[in-house]
Amino acid sequence: MSKLELKNVSYAYEKGRNVLQNISAELETGKMYAILGPSGSGKTTLLSLLGGLDVPTQGSVLFDGEDITAKGLEYHRRNRISLIFQSYNLIDYMTPIENVQLTARLDAEPILVRLGLTKDEVSRNVLKLSGGQQQRAAIARALASDAPVILADEPTGNLDADTAREITAILKESAHTFGKCVVVVTHSGDVAKQADMILEIKRGHLNEYPRY
Amino acid sequence: MSISKRAFLYVTRKRGKTILLFAILLIMATFVLTGLSIWKASETALLDLRQSMGGKFDIFPDWENSPYIVKETVTDNEVNEETGKTSYSYLMYSAVQFTPENIAAIKGIPGVKYCSARLDDLLPFDGLSLFPGTLPTDAKYQGCTKVLGVCDTQDDQLFTTGTLTLSEGRHIFADDVHTAIISRDLAERNELNIGDYLTAHSYSTEDQDFTGPEIKVQIIGLFTPDAVERFGEMVTTYDMIQNRIFVDVQTAKEMDSGGINYGFSALYVTIYDPQDMARVVADVKALPEIDWKAFIIEADNEAYESAAAPLAALNELVMTLLVIIIVVSAIILALILTLWTKTRIHEIGVFLSVGISKPAIIGQYLIEVLLIAVLAFGLSYFTSSAIADQIGSHLLEQSMQTKSDEDDTVTAAAVDVDADNLIQKPLPTESGIQVSVGPDNLARLYLIGLIIIIVAVSASSITVMRLHPREILSKMS
Repeated sequence: MSKLELKNVSYAYEKGRNVLQNISAELETGKMYAILGPSGSGKTTLLSLLGGLDVPTQGSVLFDGEDITAKGLEYHRRNRISLIFQSYNLIDYMTPIENVQLTARLDAEPILVRLGLTKDEVSRNVLKLSGGQQQRAAIARALASDAPVILADEPTGNLDADTAREITAILKESAHTFGKCVVVVTHSGDVAKQADMILEIKRGHLNEYPRY
Repeated sequence: MSISKRAFLYVTRKRGKTILLFAILLIMATFVLTGLSIWKASETALLDLRQSMGGKFDIFPDWENSPYIVKETVTDNEVNEETGKTSYSYLMYSAVQFTPENIAAIKGIPGVKYCSARLDDLLPFDGLSLFPGTLPTDAKYQGCTKVLGVCDTQDDQLFTTGTLTLSEGRHIFADDVHTAIISRDLAERNELNIGDYLTAHSYSTEDQDFTGPEIKVQIIGLFTPDAVERFGEMVTTYDMIQNRIFVDVQTAKEMDSGGINYGFSALYVTIYDPQDMARVVADVKALPEIDWKAFIIEADNEAYESAAAPLAALNELVMTLLVIIIVVSAIILALILTLWTKTRIHEIGVFLSVGISKPAIIGQYLIEVLLIAVLAFGLSYFTSSAIADQIGSHLLEQSMQTKSDEDDTVTAAAVDVDADNLIQKPLPTESGIQVSVGPDNLARLYLIGLIIIIVAVSASSITVMRLHPREILSKMS
């Protein structure tokens, strides 16, 4: 079992104005976490620190006890985490299968089909797919990379309620069935309800709750 | 997914950008390839010019400073009718002269094409009927013709310039004795053939005439002049080209009328490449067997420099244009790619978020441009071929016009040596330059193009690549 750990992490965009203050938390594989908080509270910043897109002003982010900067943030992003965004962030000149193949360590097509895309859809340009289909392709890219941690920033923010439910179910399945550590930043109560643990950011501090 | 596959997908799926970039690269490549081809053609023409003209320098006695100059008073044995006094003339010569060994040493210097020297004299041959000249001569020179004593007729400028051609027999070489080459016309006029003998007498100082011992020379070759005196041209009998007789050095010494020539007083050196002039002259001056207190060297590169001036100007112009084209191409390409890179910030963010490194992203952009460039550069071979020759000729014409306006120089390859007019050879610049694109220029284009593309892609990537992944993702959202 792998573990992503925040150790006394603080982050400031400007000197003296910390967005995150001395945060510590442990995130394990096989569980789904929801990060909640008001707009501007630092949810996405926290996700960026976990994903190695940025480094904390103070403290450290550890993966299996090792500082993620030890092997390099690029290594961390390539091998340990995969990111899912609200706007899907697929490469527009590629098909879903090609997007998945960007970082795939597993066979791309079965994962896409399992997430509900038809064989015709996996070879179609991503811009010709619906939002739900694009987000499925983005999740497939995360799963196919075989990274132990999936970090999702508002993954259902652009989707209708039914599709949002389906995507949330897939994320939950990713944690429970595929053993991933799924961390979801969300404003959605429905998504938060599906999480195994709630992490709430308030005034720069992190509070942990077992259930929504 | 590999970098090259990503690049290939981009190039094939983003067709609008691909076609636009292809057109830009094609135009750029056509200009660069045309410039390269013209530059190469002018370089080749310059090389041809150098090789066809060669360079020349003469070595002759230093009449003013040499300590070996001898000045003798000679009695003419003629009495002036008005004054009743005997007339005198002066004989001036260098006591230090060149030997055939000196000529051989100079010929051995790298870059020397020919080294020739002559012992010339006027003397009559027994029973030889000469072509009459159109200019009257002194009584004592009537029946005389010009005899040229040479080490090797092959190296004599009349033969090397093509003014005379050996039409039958063989040349005179350094170790020949009592041999001669005469004109075919003179041979026919006197019913002489190769193997026949001519008879002359050496000069007698007592008799002041050619009444000395008999000298027989065997005709070993016949020459044909490529140009003869024009109708109405004033020329003495002994200067008529058809009456010219070449003999070997030994024979010339025996015939010597003054008795002062044990060697040659002057040498004429032709070199392969006028650009080597300074080096060859230095090598000649370094020869220990020549006493340089007696001689001076006069180099003549003027004809080459005059003829080469338009080509050199063209070369300079094309090089300047090439540099401008390359710099402007790199700037235009960098600007376009910078604009396009900014539109690809979303893609860069995605790549960074999935762990693709910045160098790998730049590498993809580079491969994309290179994939298009390979095709554009290849096609530029045909577009450039269509225009290079015309542009090259136009630029050369302009260069020639500019140079002639500036210098008012006549570009002629012919040089007048002594009394012999050498044949005028057409210069390569007179017939223009032949511009062909060629695979070597195409290879240069690929190399220059590669450098331009690397510079442009690197410059265009700087702004985005300096951003932190988080900043890029913020820009994305």
